[in-house]
Amino acid sequence: MNPLTELQVDTLTEIFNIGAGRAASSLSEIVGDPVMLSVPRVQLYQSSEINAEVLSLNSPRLGAVKQHFSGPFNADAMLLFTEDRALEIVHDMMGSQVSINDIAEFEQEAMCELGNIILNACLSSMADILKLTLDSSLPVYSVGETNAVLQQIILDANQPIMLVLHIDLAIEKRHSQGYLVFLLSSSSLQELLAHIDHFISGI
Amino acid sequence: MPHRNSIKTLLIVDDSRVSRMMIRTFVLAKHPNWIIIEAASGNEALEIVDRDTPNYCTMDINMPGIIGTEAAEQILAKYPSIRVAVFSANIQESHQTRAAALGARFVAKPVTEKSVAQALEFFECNK
Repeated sequence: MNPLTELQVDTLTEIFNIGAGRAASSLSEIVGDPVMLSVPRVQLYQSSEINAEVLSLNSPRLGAVKQHFSGPFNADAMLLFTEDRALEIVHDMMGSQVSINDIAEFEQEAMCELGNIILNACLSSMADILKLTLDSSLPVYSVGETNAVLQQIILDANQPIMLVLHIDLAIEKRHSQGYLVFLLSSSSLQELLAHIDHFISGI
Repeated sequence: MPHRNSIKTLLIVDDSRVSRMMIRTFVLAKHPNWIIIEAASGNEALEIVDRDTPNYCTMDINMPGIIGTEAAEQILAKYPSIRVAVFSANIQESHQTRAAALGARFVAKPVTEKSVAQALEFFECNK
């Protein structure tokens, strides 16, 4: 499923690229190391098609930070990452203040904050570029077996369309893969694409 | 004193077609007679620079193939007179420092009239 035009994909990719760049800047300040980013890839799926294999999520367990965004269109935005790497990132964030044994205790809070930074950076770049306002709910973190987390997300959102943004994110030696996922209704997708088209026509 | 109306060649390097279109539009609004060349990757930019040697270059960082700062370094090593503005969403301190060390100007995306003006100001200021 990919009814987007080349220019629509290009625009969405660039919007998220700018957002991810802002997020990487914040992240690099938090962990004290440069963060490397890949060029994001944007793809549309039917929610029913989504599973670990489709997203190439190889890890048995998955962490997810979810936030609801509302405005001219509504979306559930999620940051997905493999759990073992989540702990490494939390360790980088907390530095020497916390021993590796106690790190799991801080996982929830640290990952919510991380998700908040990355999701808001991406959504705020979208809002700025498309000149619209999006409000966000507080982030919620969940972790579990990969397919179970994915199925729960799809069930909770109850939206037919998934806009998946794939970004490779590497903090120094810790290579990590992150996915940004937006679940939207068809009408919200149409509304988003109308804003994208309006933006393109203004160039 | 730079000649504001003299014909200059600008190479826009960005993997996003939309970004290239926007940079082109904002530049041509100020300098309708400039010649604009586009490249979608750092590798392509290196080839074009050898062939066409532009006066100025805007360079994205996150692109397929070699990253923009690497391409800018190679371009400036070979053609130090080309003025390069590193135009990127990747606003991390490390990239800004690297751009400055290369003698390039770092300009933060998004592409807007204002950010393009920052690049143009750098291109046209006295060396």
